[in-house]
Amino acid sequence: MKNEIGKLYIELGEEFNFYAPIKEKGNLIFKRVLNPDDIVLDYLNSKVPPKEILFPKMEVLFEYKTDGKDVTEIIERTDLDEKNIIFGIRPCDAHSFVLLEDFFAFGDYQDEIFLKKRANTIVIGIGCNTPKSTCFCTSVEGHPFMKDDMDIFLVDLSEKYLVEGVSEKGKELMKRLKWLTDAKKQDIQKAEELSKQAEESFETKLDLKDIDKKLDPNFEHPIWAEISDICIGCGTCSFLCPTCTCFDVIDENDQYNNKGRRIRIWDTCQFCLYTLHTSGHNPRDSCIERCRNRILHKFCYYPENYNTLGCVGCGRCIQLCPVNNDLRAIIEKVNNIKKEKEEKISA
Amino acid sequence: MVIIMGIETENSEIENSMRETARSLLKEKKVDVIIGYTNGTVPLSSAPIMITKEEEVEKLIWNNLCYVNLAKYLVPRIPQLIDPEKGDLKVGIVSKGCVGRALIHLSVENQINLENIKMIGIPCNGIINRKRIEKEVGEKEILEVFAFGNDIVVKGKDFEQEFSFEEYINELCKVCKVKSPPVLEELAEICIGECQEISSIGDNFEDLVEFESKTTEEKWDYIKDTLETCTRCYACREACPMCYCNLCFVDQNKPIWFEKTTEISEIIAFHLVRAMHLAGRCVACGACSSVCPMGIDLNLITRKLEKIVKERFNFTSGIDSKKMPPMMDFSMDDAEEFMLEED
Repeated sequence: MKNEIGKLYIELGEEFNFYAPIKEKGNLIFKRVLNPDDIVLDYLNSKVPPKEILFPKMEVLFEYKTDGKDVTEIIERTDLDEKNIIFGIRPCDAHSFVLLEDFFAFGDYQDEIFLKKRANTIVIGIGCNTPKSTCFCTSVEGHPFMKDDMDIFLVDLSEKYLVEGVSEKGKELMKRLKWLTDAKKQDIQKAEELSKQAEESFETKLDLKDIDKKLDPNFEHPIWAEISDICIGCGTCSFLCPTCTCFDVIDENDQYNNKGRRIRIWDTCQFCLYTLHTSGHNPRDSCIERCRNRILHKFCYYPENYNTLGCVGCGRCIQLCPVNNDLRAIIEKVNNIKKEKEEKISA
Repeated sequence: MVIIMGIETENSEIENSMRETARSLLKEKKVDVIIGYTNGTVPLSSAPIMITKEEEVEKLIWNNLCYVNLAKYLVPRIPQLIDPEKGDLKVGIVSKGCVGRALIHLSVENQINLENIKMIGIPCNGIINRKRIEKEVGEKEILEVFAFGNDIVVKGKDFEQEFSFEEYINELCKVCKVKSPPVLEELAEICIGECQEISSIGDNFEDLVEFESKTTEEKWDYIKDTLETCTRCYACREACPMCYCNLCFVDQNKPIWFEKTTEISEIIAFHLVRAMHLAGRCVACGACSSVCPMGIDLNLITRKLEKIVKERFNFTSGIDSKKMPPMMDFSMDDAEEFMLEED
């Protein structure tokens, strides 16, 4: 059904907000499709992760009306019940939705806006036939053909897709697509081969076993200064990370028109205002603490809080860091701390 | 004369002599640390590196992907460059022309003390426009990049593509007149290695003719179109050697000066106000565009600034260690053609 993606859009585009990979100014991103011809099917992965659909870089939480200093009316969002389809997502990014949910539904704090959107979203993902050299999902309990986090899973068999309903939601939707044909035995076999090939092609393998236990006692280790020495402190690694969730909330008050809106925007632990106290003190005062926080959050706090790694192995931070401060090298350095210690003890 | 020597030969000659200079600086203890470039771990990249030992000199490299402006690491002062007892360390810094200019300009702005610095001068032959190549290669993974003759060859699993070096360097590099750090008489011992004598820079700004022939609306559309994809990660600002404010205007929050959303008007406000702050200060290194994860190219904005400052104040940043930049100085005969007279 490869040439039938347009059909899928035409059939579902009215009922669902249909998101798919699209080229915009030379960058591949997930965007709401307006013309099915814009959908790009031959791609490795998007530059901006599809978390952007559920957790956009800028999102109005609610609008309000004012009278002088008083808020007279809160206008809630009405679009949260709209149904979404995200088509073409990779397994790593699909898994990031699970991690995002961990955060947005943590304990007593349920982020209604995120969770409603998430519940109204059907994820149609495609297996990764050709993982990049910087991909490492297999090191973080993932797999290029992992379908668990999707509703419908596709395998690209070059001239057609093998389609599999994974969740109930996905199976329901598939029933509506009458033009799908039954898969042949050799198609399933080919999919299995592709999966194996992809798995074997991984160049990046990270040793993340017990990484949280290695990180935890080394909060004050000198490697953090070493790791951060070339970091320039921009937000690339975290803004383009599919699992980073930090945001800032701002009120835009339009006093001339007696109204305003509350907005959340992406924030990052790499910025100077992050954790800045009103007193002027900042516990993460320099690049050293900020770089450490990013690593600890993914590889130490996530395992502690949610019992899973906070990284899906997409490799975007490796590819896009302006100064090539490579996560793989950072992990290696962390792993070597332990060895140094062991050597000392045995000596 | 036509360039006959291929870029790869040229680069390896530059690299060898740079390593020799670096080695002797460390050996003779003229510097404590050297900031340079090393090979990147992903294609089309390089990584800044700080070395303190002679045997690490081999890690230093030079090629046309050394896009970071290393002057960035001197302001604000980072812990690695300060000794608890000795104070500021003596720093050797691998300097292509625009790094040299940045260092000189930062000293004019009183941000660094050039006496603590040795510029290891390099005759830069232009920085590859990595974002343009990435975009043109598209949805294929680049695995290898090398120079061959006067071409840049990009290779991946099932493809190989050649790009003309002359065409695929940064737009700013195409019009660059300061390939090596400027020689300053009063600071002759600061710059070692390749340096360039510069009295004044003649530039006809021909590259701006097309942009300037646009109508105001068209220019505005160009700005909007260029900046639209900005995520506000501030990689441009953080890579800029002249963006060293303790608190950037967009981060001012007591009270808030500017909104921080990705609404196009607010993106434009950030980039244009930042551009204003760089008038007469930008050294045209192009690092801002080279590091942008979204591949936004700011070169036209930069060039236009350079032109305005040159025409109004006859000033070029980073070539004179005594002349104050026009926005920090007042002179009775400053051009004021923007002042409107009554009648």
